Amino acid sequence: MTTSTPTLSADLCLKCNICTAACPVAAVTELFPGPKAVGPQAQRFRHPRLPSPDLSVSWCSGCGTCTRVCPHGVAIAEINIQAKARLAEEHAPPLRDHVISRPEWLGFAGSLAAPIANPLLRLGAARWALEKTLGIDRHAPMPPFARRTLRSRRRQRVVKAVPADPTNVVAYYHGCSTNYYEPDLGDKAIAVLERLGCRVVLPPQRCCGLPMQSNGFFDAARRQAATNIRLLVPYARAGIPIVGTSTSCTLALKHDYRVILGVEGEEAEIVARGTFDIFEFIAGRLEGALDAFDFAPVEATALYHPPCQLKSHFMGTPALRVLRRIPGLSITLSQSECCGIAGTYGLKHEKFAVAQAVGAGLFRQTAQLDPEFVLSDSETCRWWLEQHTRHKVIHPIELLARSMRLA
Amino acid sequence: MTDLIVVGAGLTGLFAAWQAARRGAQCMLVTAGRGGLELSSGCLGIASSGPPLRQVAKAPLPHPYALVGLDALRRAVDDLLELLEASNLPYAGGLESNLELPTAAGGTACAAYAPRSLARFLDAGAGPVTLAGFTGFRDFDSVLASNRLSARLQRPVAAADLPLPGSLPLRDLYSTDLARRFEDPDWRAQACAAWRPILIGVRHLGLPAVLGFRQHASVIAAIEELLELTVFEIPTLPPCLPGLRLESVLREACLAGGVDLIEGATAIGRVDGRNAVTRAAGIVAQTAGGPQVIDAGAVLLATGDLLHGGLVARQSGRLQESVFDLPVVHSSNRSTWTAPHFSDPQPYATFGLRVDARMRPLGADGAPLMQNLFAAGGILAGARRTEEGSRQGIGLATAWRAVESALP
Repeated sequence: MTTSTPTLSADLCLKCNICTAACPVAAVTELFPGPKAVGPQAQRFRHPRLPSPDLSVSWCSGCGTCTRVCPHGVAIAEINIQAKARLAEEHAPPLRDHVISRPEWLGFAGSLAAPIANPLLRLGAARWALEKTLGIDRHAPMPPFARRTLRSRRRQRVVKAVPADPTNVVAYYHGCSTNYYEPDLGDKAIAVLERLGCRVVLPPQRCCGLPMQSNGFFDAARRQAATNIRLLVPYARAGIPIVGTSTSCTLALKHDYRVILGVEGEEAEIVARGTFDIFEFIAGRLEGALDAFDFAPVEATALYHPPCQLKSHFMGTPALRVLRRIPGLSITLSQSECCGIAGTYGLKHEKFAVAQAVGAGLFRQTAQLDPEFVLSDSETCRWWLEQHTRHKVIHPIELLARSMRLA
Repeated sequence: MTDLIVVGAGLTGLFAAWQAARRGAQCMLVTAGRGGLELSSGCLGIASSGPPLRQVAKAPLPHPYALVGLDALRRAVDDLLELLEASNLPYAGGLESNLELPTAAGGTACAAYAPRSLARFLDAGAGPVTLAGFTGFRDFDSVLASNRLSARLQRPVAAADLPLPGSLPLRDLYSTDLARRFEDPDWRAQACAAWRPILIGVRHLGLPAVLGFRQHASVIAAIEELLELTVFEIPTLPPCLPGLRLESVLREACLAGGVDLIEGATAIGRVDGRNAVTRAAGIVAQTAGGPQVIDAGAVLLATGDLLHGGLVARQSGRLQESVFDLPVVHSSNRSTWTAPHFSDPQPYATFGLRVDARMRPLGADGAPLMQNLFAAGGILAGARRTEEGSRQGIGLATAWRAVESALP
């Protein structure tokens, strides 16, 4: 597929409104006309050499629900993300958008300065100043930086080149969040994979570029894409699966590079096909090891919120297939399409209330169920839910690790 | 290992997946998007051209009803009605006669079963009714609907226009927007207070079907109490709440039953030809990253007819079944596919797969193509669903039979 494909798919729209009915943003704010209206419908008024006719697409959170529910093959979310990028070209985005687009810089600087940065970010006055100067909402979640990154903690698994013997090797694409904020999660993911018979290596990698893409900085995002494809393609060519714990990063490698950013060529295709969400990999490739494993009971209730970025993989919810093996665990599914944060959307002061309204149903469901565990595969969803529900929210791999006596 | 893959999430696919889960099977439901059920009125047409039971009993072979039999239909309908009742979405009707209910254009449509909120139109008997629209809601015109309905039914039908509290949105007002507003008790009370003086003397009030989504039953009860009259709903243009409510009950029942739902992926069938008996090995799902192989014990096609993606017309005039490329009963002369007028019976509507009594697609020799491949719903040949008003009945009965055959 090329970058023009999503816009061409606008012609397939039947105007059935299934996307409008499912859109979590249109449901809570009338500022957003809905995915059909700003997507396939508005597309006919957009011209490559003329200014964008309408700004309302900027209210789209990019959750991708519309594309997933469309019964007729319209790439609605992709059309809208490209239209938002056009807006960013025409109207210089605020400094804030540049800052939140670069988790890698933030993470690098933040982990160096963690002893100072972490207490500072907990200070109300500092958050007030950030809201006033940058427009990052003072209530938006900002997790603490880890003092040691995953790569420095797991230095012996860091590799510079493809191992000579690729048998059972898995290349872990940890992304920025696991490296800089949640290295414990990375440790557990590595432990689970190794317990199931894999040899985990940490290949060279950079930020996937999705936050740049979501904020309309397509050129910068394409540079990230090119770098990652160059770094990862040798692993994929050697048949080494690239496995990630961050659903949005893996979606970028699988889909966004090619379909939204328009990266062409065989190498992008090879990386896309060689990339897996960790539960997709475990459920699909390690079934034998799972069958042979004696999972310890976890007598508890868990509320599972599959992130929209996970559902956009179009592979269902493989974590559920694996977690069902844990004796004693009772899993309730989230009834919400989206938790609200949608990557960096909910961080923005002007979008914060909309994002909260999107998540309100899930916050209520959590309060009513009051489960022992709240599970979600995406870091921004976890931080957002944790802040709004006052429940500890973990990646499902952490619960699996526990049932495998690894935590 | 997945026991059964169901492809397609219309009424047939959702019902089949839920049935499979109820039988304790590990079922995967693969769908390219949300099914068209959301666009429907939520009514269940079994045979709308006459008394349903009699019509079904006399359907000749190879009509799907003749293949599955009345028992499968009864059991499917009973199971669904029970689920709907338990999910706070009660239905009215029966197999003996049809309900004739008003449409948003002021016509009437018949179905054996309808959501109770729609069927309550019949509570008015031959007495006067009032149809009311909402100022600013373009998807329902009360004057058009009442004038035409009055002429059709030869009885007085009044029209009213009800103002909505609060400001109108900056964009189109969708039925789903109104449904959410109606779920807010304060908004509802404010609206009803404003409407009471307009509705003096009205006993039976018809409103566009926007009276709540998940809390639908309590919304209607609250409005009736506030206005002191009986309310019935009339289905709107999409998004159509009665269809949405039915879709979400079925989808959530699937998820609660442990069905693995894969939304967004298209499916291509895989065949295992290694042994003497050809079997369906599963599917290849087109996921965001690329094709993914999924094994299964059996596959059920609920992909619908030519208008729904189950059958694809090629430029050459060949009609192709979209997942396994199975042989399709159709005319090879493309110019004979359509009738001269849109409202005429359309020849293409009868195209589809021939199946045996266990819902297995048949080859030219009349033998099942694969032992573990099944088909149900709109993809089956031999029925004129639109003229017969039999679409939902065929979907439910054949899904029931196919699941029973696939999971003995």
